Amino acid sequence: MKIDFDRSGGVAGMRLALMLDTESLPVDEAFHIAKLVEGAGFFELVQGFSGAAPAPDRFEYRLTIESQIWGRNAVVLAESAVPVEMRPLLDHLTALAMRGARLDNADGPGERTAP
Amino acid sequence: MTGRHPLHCILPPYMLKSICSNSSGARQRAALASIVGTARMRSRRQALVIPGAKVEAATLAAVKLRRVYTAENGPALPGRLVRQEGDPPSADPAVNEAYDGAGSTYDLFWQAYERDSLDGSGMALESTVHYERAYDNAFWDGKQMVYGDGDGELFNRFTAALDVIGHELTHGVTQYTSNLNYSSQSGALSESYSDVFGSLVKQKQRGQAASEADWLVGQGLFTTKVNGVALRSMKEPGTAYDDPILGKDPQPAHMRDYVVTLEDNGGVHVNSGIPNHAFFLIAVAMGGYAWEKAGKIWYAAGRDRFPSNTDFQGAADLTFQVAGELYGGGSDEQQAVQYGWESVGITIGAQSQAQPNPSGCSVVPLTALRALIRRPVAG
Repeated sequence: MKIDFDRSGGVAGMRLALMLDTESLPVDEAFHIAKLVEGAGFFELVQGFSGAAPAPDRFEYRLTIESQIWGRNAVVLAESAVPVEMRPLLDHLTALAMRGARLDNADGPGERTAP
Repeated sequence: MTGRHPLHCILPPYMLKSICSNSSGARQRAALASIVGTARMRSRRQALVIPGAKVEAATLAAVKLRRVYTAENGPALPGRLVRQEGDPPSADPAVNEAYDGAGSTYDLFWQAYERDSLDGSGMALESTVHYERAYDNAFWDGKQMVYGDGDGELFNRFTAALDVIGHELTHGVTQYTSNLNYSSQSGALSESYSDVFGSLVKQKQRGQAASEADWLVGQGLFTTKVNGVALRSMKEPGTAYDDPILGKDPQPAHMRDYVVTLEDNGGVHVNSGIPNHAFFLIAVAMGGYAWEKAGKIWYAAGRDRFPSNTDFQGAADLTFQVAGELYGGGSDEQQAVQYGWESVGITIGAQSQAQPNPSGCSVVPLTALRALIRRPVAG
């Protein structure tokens, strides 16, 4: 499963991004992400922009996932319109993106894209 | 002021003052509100009015009304009330920072521009702290302020920076005035407007002249692990941080570096560097306290002239126009406005994408005002 995740906005206006292929992850981590994706109902979301009108200093999430089982979906979500069941997935990807940035810091350029 | 408390109509002023001095809590607040209400009836104060503009709805003496809640690290808003107007300080620094920051913001808008709270009609300033867990953000949700604690790795709690509190509350002012569309240039202008008044809240609280201020936004939000001084620099956009984890401050200072992007509602937190820098240049060129002249021009333009789709060109033209109306065509102030915008690549009176002013205010042709400007003689 290929995941392209991006969070922008917030009062700090900083971009956080992550691209990963779960096949390159340890099995337990890949399984955990697959469960989060399934629990989020991600492939049932309408493709494209889903959410409320832009609100000052809220986050904006862009998420594209390609799965051999479920196919492909891509959405843009305003923070105020994130479905409750999506929250654990977005929080996990946010944490992974921040951790990835730290790994980049230690190991040189990696997957993360700087703003 | 009727019906809020029986104290209002019965007691003479000296007794109300005595209650204020010798009591606390709800009784003290009621007495204070009553004194202020009476003062409102007695003395109308002159509002900041530019010729032809609508008169501010609330031009009377004003009183702050603050409430601070805690979300107790959950998602529910507003949460549990922990401090309200007149209460003594809390043991929780986030509560006190939210309370004091809302007060400083109120004071700027009231004392400098005679605006009574965000809506101009004395609305309560409500803030919630400890929103969610390790939440790296602060925002205005259309009704109230919301502050996260930060993750502790990159960000401290978001109440730590007074200018960020002022920034968020200014989004409320924008909502009740120009209601700028929050995307692309009008969105970046909204962001800049919040940075400008957030910075002015801090400058006024510190008593700093334009030349003395740091013009940083969000200093103190980064932990010591981050290589950066603040979220943004109005003085030198693009230099606030350069960090292996957060990346480099992406703000441009000039139209030639304008960033075209779909993210962040069209780069509203990025391209705000351009009008931010224009304001900095204008304020320093004018000298003195930035909230007095430059801030007044920005406030009046935003309140009375900016349509919701104002772009940078429209903001330049309209602030130039307001500067002429407040200080005279060709005045040093109006020339400073022209200098600031042209320094970031925007020529006053150039082709504008802005729509006609929906308020119906008459607009002096810019060509007429431009003729009044003393332009340097071409060598």
